Amino acid sequence: MTVAAPAPLMRRLRLSGLLVALGLIVEAITLFWSHPTAFLVFLGLGGLLVAAGVLLYLFTIATYPSAPPPT
Amino acid sequence: MLPTTAFVAIVLVTIALISLVVLRPTLVAARGGRILAFLSLFLLPLLVTGLGTSAQVEHSKTTEFCLSCHVMEPYGRSLRVDDPSYVPARHFQNNRVPREAACFTCHTNYTLFGDYKAKLRGLRHVYVNYIGTIPKQIKLYEPYNNRECLHCHAGARNFETNDVHQSVRAELAKNATSCLECHDKIHNVHGLAGVKMWQETPWKEEKKP
Repeated sequence: MTVAAPAPLMRRLRLSGLLVALGLIVEAITLFWSHPTAFLVFLGLGGLLVAAGVLLYLFTIATYPSAPPPT
Repeated sequence: MLPTTAFVAIVLVTIALISLVVLRPTLVAARGGRILAFLSLFLLPLLVTGLGTSAQVEHSKTTEFCLSCHVMEPYGRSLRVDDPSYVPARHFQNNRVPREAACFTCHTNYTLFGDYKAKLRGLRHVYVNYIGTIPKQIKLYEPYNNRECLHCHAGARNFETNDVHQSVRAELAKNATSCLECHDKIHNVHGLAGVKMWQETPWKEEKKP
């Protein structure tokens, strides 16, 4: 049997997913642009969004209290 | 280097997996869902960013990348001057440097590929390109290093058997004498007006009967 995840966890996972997805889209777009600015946008915006999403995800799973053992 | 299409494919797969976790969050309550979330929100994004960084670094070696800034256009034109006394043009037109990476072949420690100071200069170049004032004359930050010539010419028969080269061989190796002291017609971008340009004829494969 699975237990539904609580709302704050869902919210953080959604935000984390959104940040990572946006970052990946930015990274993919910059690969089609041949210019030094593309590299900066890749790391400065895409990389930053991905890093923020990944860190939020790690923070979420690290701070989320584990389910109590079944009695 | 990973092709751009493969990179985009991995990005799309990652986004699809993220969508699954985000749109069906109840999945993470199960062990399989937690593994999926770890894969899509941690492992794959880091992998994609690593591969993307590698692709960007490789791409920054290309001539197209260097000449994408307006200020570098004359340097690109100087590669097509119809005069063999221009050293970069002679190398470019005779495939002595790979044409797709012509700039990087002779400027191996420039900006991204140099030390941290060179990387900071690269950032400053982008800033100056958009906001600052571009200097009328662009100069190298350091004297041109003979290493850039010798990494191809050292050991080459026509270089080693040349009497002049023989007489200064040790100084050339130590950078005490610059190659550019004799081979001094380099990009010469301020003298390009009115200079005849090489009209390259595209190579055509002969049709088989």
